[in-house]
Amino acid sequence: MSEDTWTSSKKKSLLDPRTKLLLIFVEAVLVLATTGGEHLFWFRVVFAMLPFLLLLTAKRYKTCFIGLLVLGVIYFLEYTVFPYVNGAIAGILLIIIMIINRFLPAYLMGVYVMGSTTVSEFKAAMDKLYVPDALTIPMCVMFRLFPTIKEENDSIRAAMKMRGIRFCGRKAGKMLEYRVVPMITCTAKIGEELSASALTRGLGKEKKRTNICHIGFGWADIVIFLLVAATLVYWILGVFA
Amino acid sequence: MIKFENVSFAYDATPEEKSLRNFSLTIEGGECVLITGPSGCGKSTLLRLLNGLIPEFYGGKTEGSIKIDGNEIRESSVVDQAGKIGTVFQNPRSQFFNVDTTSELAFGPENLALPEDEILRRIAKTVKNFSIGTLMDRSIFELSGGEKQKIACASVDVLAPEIILLDEPSANLDFEAAENLRELILHWKNAGKTILIAEHRINYIWDLADRVVILENGVLAREIKRDRIARFTEEDATRFGLRCLARTAPTSLVKVENEASGQTQMDDTIILKNFHYSYDKKQELYSIPEMKIRKGKVTAIVGANGAGKTTFLESVCGIRKNSGIMVSDGVSYTYKKRIGMIFMVMQDVNHQLFTESVLDEVLISQPEEDENGAKAILAEVGLKDFSERHPMSLSGGQKQRIALACAIASNLPFLLLDEPTSGLDHVQMYAVAEILNRLKNEGRTIITVTHDSEFIEHCCDDVIRMEEA
Amino acid sequence: MSKQESGNKLNGRDFINIGIYTAIYFVIAMALAMTGLIPIFLILLSSMIGIIGGIPFMLFLTKVKKPGMLLIMSLIMGILMFVTGMTWMPIPFSILTGIIAELVYRSGGYKSMKAAILTAGAFPLWSCGNYLPLFLQREQYFADRTSYGQEYIDAVMKFTPNWMFFVLLIATFVCGIIGGFLGKALLKKHFERAGIV
Repeated sequence: MSEDTWTSSKKKSLLDPRTKLLLIFVEAVLVLATTGGEHLFWFRVVFAMLPFLLLLTAKRYKTCFIGLLVLGVIYFLEYTVFPYVNGAIAGILLIIIMIINRFLPAYLMGVYVMGSTTVSEFKAAMDKLYVPDALTIPMCVMFRLFPTIKEENDSIRAAMKMRGIRFCGRKAGKMLEYRVVPMITCTAKIGEELSASALTRGLGKEKKRTNICHIGFGWADIVIFLLVAATLVYWILGVFA
Repeated sequence: MIKFENVSFAYDATPEEKSLRNFSLTIEGGECVLITGPSGCGKSTLLRLLNGLIPEFYGGKTEGSIKIDGNEIRESSVVDQAGKIGTVFQNPRSQFFNVDTTSELAFGPENLALPEDEILRRIAKTVKNFSIGTLMDRSIFELSGGEKQKIACASVDVLAPEIILLDEPSANLDFEAAENLRELILHWKNAGKTILIAEHRINYIWDLADRVVILENGVLAREIKRDRIARFTEEDATRFGLRCLARTAPTSLVKVENEASGQTQMDDTIILKNFHYSYDKKQELYSIPEMKIRKGKVTAIVGANGAGKTTFLESVCGIRKNSGIMVSDGVSYTYKKRIGMIFMVMQDVNHQLFTESVLDEVLISQPEEDENGAKAILAEVGLKDFSERHPMSLSGGQKQRIALACAIASNLPFLLLDEPTSGLDHVQMYAVAEILNRLKNEGRTIITVTHDSEFIEHCCDDVIRMEEA
Repeated sequence: MSKQESGNKLNGRDFINIGIYTAIYFVIAMALAMTGLIPIFLILLSSMIGIIGGIPFMLFLTKVKKPGMLLIMSLIMGILMFVTGMTWMPIPFSILTGIIAELVYRSGGYKSMKAAILTAGAFPLWSCGNYLPLFLQREQYFADRTSYGQEYIDAVMKFTPNWMFFVLLIATFVCGIIGGFLGKALLKKHFERAGIV
């Protein structure tokens, strides 16, 4: 892109944000909460693999690779190490294996959705779903603030590390206060300034905002819908069978 | 036309102390007015009265009348002013509502429910005028402070307000970024906007102003008209407690003792070796095979971009994992060993203030708590009267001095500072420079990253340029 | 000072405040949830959220002057619980507890400190919604969690007869009150003096 021209880019991520929301829900229900039990096992496998595929489409190769690596290690542990240990170690190992197995796909789906959805896409999706501003605006602010909170936290931790030696031991009980209070203070201050800046630019002035962000369903969304529909039908058939 | 008539204002927090007293000023449409004066003189208050943040965000008691084009504005809220008055704030990190730049530019016009093609046209126009094509469709978290401030200006520009307020917009910017900001302000000036800039750092816009207003304790101390601005001297500036007027690039001040002459002995220097940092493995942010720092001196590091310098300091300090080695007195220290040897004053001091009082902050920094010692240190940095105050309730310059007091208390031989003078006025900057000079005389080695030429001239012995890789 | 017309209707600034404090609250809740892998901590989670969450929550209450803000925050927490795999039950439950918190705080005219502390007790009840499946869908819940290992389930089972849900509610409420006092203390010690209230 040249220095001084800009045309609204039509490049969109593969999926409509509404489809992404649906996927998060499906991951939560099917993979995390394992609804449907053994009956839906193969569907669960499909949906557990889906985030990896989506990360590839979003060019997040590194995340995808690390995810696959973690999964590989887990399967290695499950099939080669687990059968040979017992007692408490086996219990701990099993918990680790199962938790990572369940959380990893949902987590990676979250990473994909957060990374590939802009705040305005999210807003557009919520508007289309008739979710009121009272819910969407706070959630937009949350998306905006999570990375900030992480930055603040990292800086505070670094500062404590530098001065840390003198904290430990003597005032261990104060650690919480020293960590949590500055994090809240810094975030609240940033939030206040964000609020001032947003209001001077008219947030909430008109009842109906414009949104220059266009969202719409494409072929990929239809594939996902069909997949979800198939899962649903198969599940219902299973329940009544 | 903006007209202040006998305006007085006191914040609710300090009702007995008036921020503005009987202030009157008329600003014609299309004028560019620079408002300056020492910290706490009331210049931010002035802007907040205009954009409505007073009383909505900052409660207080207002007297007198403020009119824009003949209409009293005390009745209108912040949101009412949107589209008429645009404001650029100080902190580039906090004034974004969105995570990506394009949405941020669209944000204001969207709020005003402008039609979509109008919004797109405005964005395209702003992008062209500000030459920010390369910044579009990016995450704000990957932009530098200067780039963020450009986007902040652009997101005001798309609203096409007639009046533009800038509240210390350069406080967190380095020399180059401030020069860029100057270009944007010049663009607005040429477009006939009414511009009010509240600033400490006046040099980058001094010759753009049509009028300069100097405030002192909420009172108009001096008004300098267009034809007099050029005749205002550095001595006059010092007399009013203002920062310098000359625009000197910090990189032009580079001076290092000639190493080849062999005058510097090994035990007089510390050597920093093998400091590299790359972002995402693609592009090296900086690469320093070797850097010599004289002990017991203040060394300024200039050049390169802000993020690179901050990362470098964090690496030297040891709070960031790195492969750099520091050699002092023939002993090599890896980053792990450097932790606890070096005190660092961060750019955002807020991150390193933890306790509920200034005195406690110093006490926890001492190897052994010693209240009398701590009080002596506070007196040394001029904070004796603030020892019971909450650190976060103090001004930027005072917080900077708390951090320095902690550095003194820590008794550590090495001190790193990251832009210690950003947002400081003349007096506060001098206070910091004085403290550094004193610490140097006590034999401490100080490295400071800075873009502040005036500060460099006052207390830095060596100036090293850090090249961008 | 505040304008008449704004009345009781929530405006942009209120929405942003909800966002700020829900973000902080959620980050703290998630940090605590990481400890939920140890069985006993899963049971204690709602209580810990009550105590530690009380710190930002009390600060948030100083910004709440109109009805609706607590309900929205509660509902967002419920939705986020759904997204993180706690089934749909936390959502209606969070609406219920959100309304209770609203009523408690309103009874104090949105400024009474006594009501604020009671609200800090009532609000974290949303987190008990996460336990609902544990009691209401007992069979299924444990069928699903066989994968956690029998030891884990036995430990959880031992602590979760049905009346336990009410014990949890009460414990959470009490811990929320403790969190309220903790938050109040820090409010006085830090936030008010730092000038961010």
